[in-house]
Amino acid sequence: MTTASGRAEPSRTSKPAEPGALRLIWQHRVDYAYVLPSIVVMMIVIAYPIYYTIDLSFFKTPPSLQLRDKIFVGMENYGAILQSDVFWRVTWNTVVWTVASTVIAFALGFGAALALHRDFIGRGVLRAILIIPWVISAVAASYIWKWIYHSDFGVIGAVLVELGITSRPPNFIDNVNTVLPALIVVNIWREFPFAMIMLMAGLQTVPDQLLRAAKVDGANAWQRFWHVTFPHLRNVSTVTILLLAVANFNSFIIPWIMTGGGPSNASHIWITHIYELAFGRQRWGVASAYSVLLFLILMTLGYFYVRALGGNESKDRGT
Amino acid sequence: MSTTSETLAPRRGRRRIDGWRWAGRVFLLLMIIYTAAPMAWMLLTSIKSGFAAMQFPPQWWPEEPTLASYAKLLDPQNSVGADFLRFFWNSLFVSTMTTILAVVVAVPAAYAFSRFSFPGRKFLFFAVLLRNMFPAVIFLVPLFILMRVLGLVNTHGSLILTYLTFGLPLAIWLLKGFYDNIPVQLEQAARIDGATRFQAFLLIVMPLSVPGIIATAIYSFIAAWNEYIYAYTFLSKNDQLTLPVGIQRFFSENTTDFPGLMAASFLMSVPVVVLFLVLQRYFVRALTEGAVKH
Repeated sequence: MTTASGRAEPSRTSKPAEPGALRLIWQHRVDYAYVLPSIVVMMIVIAYPIYYTIDLSFFKTPPSLQLRDKIFVGMENYGAILQSDVFWRVTWNTVVWTVASTVIAFALGFGAALALHRDFIGRGVLRAILIIPWVISAVAASYIWKWIYHSDFGVIGAVLVELGITSRPPNFIDNVNTVLPALIVVNIWREFPFAMIMLMAGLQTVPDQLLRAAKVDGANAWQRFWHVTFPHLRNVSTVTILLLAVANFNSFIIPWIMTGGGPSNASHIWITHIYELAFGRQRWGVASAYSVLLFLILMTLGYFYVRALGGNESKDRGT
Repeated sequence: MSTTSETLAPRRGRRRIDGWRWAGRVFLLLMIIYTAAPMAWMLLTSIKSGFAAMQFPPQWWPEEPTLASYAKLLDPQNSVGADFLRFFWNSLFVSTMTTILAVVVAVPAAYAFSRFSFPGRKFLFFAVLLRNMFPAVIFLVPLFILMRVLGLVNTHGSLILTYLTFGLPLAIWLLKGFYDNIPVQLEQAARIDGATRFQAFLLIVMPLSVPGIIATAIYSFIAAWNEYIYAYTFLSKNDQLTLPVGIQRFFSENTTDFPGLMAASFLMSVPVVVLFLVLQRYFVRALTEGAVKH
């Protein structure tokens, strides 16, 4: 009874809401003026490109032709992608790159945030040093690390030789097995400060009384962390991990500048591969089909992203 | 008996906390090495001569430190220096224009998302956030064609328009966090005193949101300063390049001049790092305001 009436109510109100919605929009017409500039700019620069990419993914664009002379091929581009060996190689690289970068950057950022949470002399300086990699350009970072990994004069190779671990400096970048981990180290170097900042702020929201109460009740440091601190950081952690995952999935500069995807595709991830297909080999149709697939994957991730953020928002309203 | 057990218990507790604290210190030390060593090596290499940099084993500390690389990059008479200063100026111009426009457009939008409850508000806000999800590559081809239609290819206008769009979502999100924390009662009081809604916004809310605006401005500036893909694709004329692309071109022409490359990387990082360190209080607060709420 009660559930039935409860369910009936919204539908009853939603029927007359149809003309009411228009009136509401009209009543709020001035409010839209505040948002309008943003919406207009974004419609031009975002909605149109998405439409164009989807459209182009059904066409073949031979390099000799102008883009307007494209040939309709239906789903052929998608079929070609799924059948190619490179696709699976690149997909595997992308998974490794995204998961490893996200998990390790988050873990290191979490550790650093916990270590910096307690006040001590020099804390501000240490925090500033740890954040700098995140601020400097990825292009500069790529070149710094390229020099560090240099096959003849790289400092890491020199240290390994000095310590007697190897007799000759190893070549990290031109080796199919080490290139991806080497690039992930660079990526984490740039990204863990972001996780650190987010979690440091999150730690400040953990109520001191709870921690003290737990201490009085005899909880040790680990128990206090696991049962009091960690549950309070769940929301921040979700948002941070999602933002990191999306950023890693979309990263381009570090692999592009450091290796260009080589050697033999060992460090190609989706984005660099798409870029090479489009601007290197002029295969716009295939590149667009790739982009559409990417788009679908990101929409799935985006669903969780919005749910995580939306969860935050509704909770704020409640309190 | 009871006194001894009482004195023992806290001591054991303190010792265990010390264990965690030491683990934290060791971890911090390792992180500092991981973070700072590459930057230190960049600086050390930048003050070596080209010959000294290419040695094995390397000179751990430069034997004959020289500022020649910096002098070369900052000398407008020299062709390398002229190019570098040109790129620097281009980056400064594009980043500053982007920042100003982003603040002008994002402030009213963020205020509206924070205060008004117009239909579609929630949908629009998530649409704005979703923008963050899409990689630049998806937009490159169509945007390039769009810029050609608008006649903006090879102009800084193409970059400013693009950076503006891609910076807006986060700028709006950051600012909304600030507006959410400014009490509505202040505006209501102003409205009761006869101010229009716009006057209340301009005279009451705007001054209070200055920290948020500073944070948003820093964010926009740093993002624009460091952007690479669009600049790489939209600009082809040498005198229009921004720093990230310019440095790449510099490196492809002087593949062995590592001291020069490190000096250029350092000079390129200086403005954003200084800006960030001076204003990091605002920046860190704003970034976390949206995600971490009390």
